[in-house]
Amino acid sequence: MTGSIALLGQPNSGKSTIYNNLTGARQHVGNWAGKTVEKNEGTYTYNGTKYTVTDLPGSYGLSGNSDEEIITTDFIRSGQSALTVVLVDASQLERSMFMLAEFARLDKPAVLVLNMIDVAQGIGKTVDADALSKKLGIPVLPFNATDTKDYDKLKKLIADELKAPHKLTAVMPAEHNDIKADSQAKFDWVSSLLSDVTKSGNAVYKMSKFDRVLTRPILGKFICIGVVLLAFFVAMFIMAPFMSIGKMIPITLHDPIDDLLTGWNVHPWIASIFSTMLPNVLFFVISMASFVFGVHIVFGFLEETGFLARAAYQFDGLLSKLGLQGKAICPMLMGCGCTIGGACGTRVMDNWGQRMLAMSIVWAIPCGSIWSIIPVISGMFFTWKQTLLVLAGILVYVVITMIIVSKLFSKKLAPVETRSGMIMELPPYHKAHWKHIIKEAFFKAWDIFKRAFGTVTLVSIIFYVLSFSKDGNVEHSLLYRVGTLIEPVTRFFGMGWQTFMAFVSGAFAKEAVLGTLNAVFMENNSLIDAAFFAKTAKADTEMLGTAMKAVVSPAEALAFMFATTFNIPCVMALSTTYKESHSLKWTAKVALFYICNALLLSCVVYHVAKLFM
Amino acid sequence: MKLTESAADTQGTIISVGGDDHFMNRITSIGITEGTPFQTVRNDKKMPVLIYLRETLISLNMADAEKIEVNVR
Repeated sequence: MTGSIALLGQPNSGKSTIYNNLTGARQHVGNWAGKTVEKNEGTYTYNGTKYTVTDLPGSYGLSGNSDEEIITTDFIRSGQSALTVVLVDASQLERSMFMLAEFARLDKPAVLVLNMIDVAQGIGKTVDADALSKKLGIPVLPFNATDTKDYDKLKKLIADELKAPHKLTAVMPAEHNDIKADSQAKFDWVSSLLSDVTKSGNAVYKMSKFDRVLTRPILGKFICIGVVLLAFFVAMFIMAPFMSIGKMIPITLHDPIDDLLTGWNVHPWIASIFSTMLPNVLFFVISMASFVFGVHIVFGFLEETGFLARAAYQFDGLLSKLGLQGKAICPMLMGCGCTIGGACGTRVMDNWGQRMLAMSIVWAIPCGSIWSIIPVISGMFFTWKQTLLVLAGILVYVVITMIIVSKLFSKKLAPVETRSGMIMELPPYHKAHWKHIIKEAFFKAWDIFKRAFGTVTLVSIIFYVLSFSKDGNVEHSLLYRVGTLIEPVTRFFGMGWQTFMAFVSGAFAKEAVLGTLNAVFMENNSLIDAAFFAKTAKADTEMLGTAMKAVVSPAEALAFMFATTFNIPCVMALSTTYKESHSLKWTAKVALFYICNALLLSCVVYHVAKLFM
Repeated sequence: MKLTESAADTQGTIISVGGDDHFMNRITSIGITEGTPFQTVRNDKKMPVLIYLRETLISLNMADAEKIEVNVR
């Protein structure tokens, strides 16, 4: 026995919470045929019957021409799911019932779920579900997404309805060709349905004291930034235990594996792959995944409570200058920690073009790793005052890059006429569903872990082969030969072969930069050991500084720092952007832009700096 | 008057909504239709306008709010 249902609801109707709680880990993410819109399907079993749940893309209506709305309409029309569960927000019933009015003309079996009934009751609103059900001709279920008992009721209702489905019997809203008249008719239809089944609380809206402060033009922005800084602090706190476990892996595993493999007479070159490389890859991937986990927990919390909607309101004006809308503030802030998290975070945006644009802008934001390596390198060449200037220069160029990206790509990705300015609701503050947030963060982290492990291992092996030399001397490696061969070209861009190689390794992972520098500048260092040990044991920056200064001019160091910061963020950010956008073409375009931008910037910085230094 | 000219804490009615089909679809599906009573909650310089309408707090950017004509009481 199987059954299939679809979930339909507006943004903020709590659809994803219900979808995740129904299906748990049994989810599949794909694409709607020929579209860049994500298709989410999951399953659950109830009383021995397996049910497939399709999470339809969220939109405010079904009459528009966006991909999301066309997909939804076609899917419901096709009858691929036998029942549509229409979700409305009971606390904003009149407005969210618009979706049911849109659905009505499709004439398919449905049930209505009055989600957030707890919030509605909290503001003194009552809904007579039975009376509404009688008027509509379909079952109506009051629902509280935090109450596990309500899920059983929902599952039972779905099972019953699949056996004996109901269609809307209420008289349909009149259809008009004119959009205004059509919407008006639908809202009139909703009003007539709700006229004697609901009682509302206050008609006059009184803003809470907290909101009053948070929506103030200047103070509000500072509070938003403060809350986000606090959120990063909490995220670090959450990831700390995972990090310390991860850190133990290379340290504890190296000797036993090395002893074991040496005992089996495995060649040291191969042995070091297993004793040094793989444990370090594991550590690296764990730290990446735990960061994604931490960031998603705090931002999931901020989103569910309704805080991020306020932040979107605050920063809409600023972001609209980049062709984005206020909602992009969330991924941009996440990007300050980790570009991968930022790329995932663009999910809050409902339009593909704007999402892609937001991702390409997020790439310009230096992630946490960059902030950890640039001061170290700068400190080797410059005084701390000059280092502050370097950091300020980077920040200025972040803004410039964002403007260039927006100028270059926004015409195609977010043409002015389709630019959905921010028309959004500020939902009332909700309690966070911790179980849901943790689950979702865990899935995200697990997904990154799986993908990163493969990617990072592959990249590491390529790096291993390139840097391999029989006697451990860098000058006998392929990397050296290629590097010195192309040095005349890289010199033009301001980088010698050593810094250029470190620049290239930074495109794989920013964390590899210090290790690579360590390997190419210090004698008697196997490149692979240096590159990986730099992540676990601190590289001796003083010695590295002395060695680098002998070869690298301050102008070159400056050019290198800028080039590394503004190059493509890392392989995983690239792969995540591709996964989130489903567009290889655009991911490649953006990557190409960042590589060219970094090289040109490096060229300019080098030649200008040489005039002064 | 335009919605952007309405002061905070005033109540009124939406008189007319202008714009292309795309905009019209978005704005009406969130509940901003002609004849709907509303309340301006916040209207600060260079910030989106916050209105309360159909039990919902809605934020509209300035360019969009320009296209909405209202009557205030």
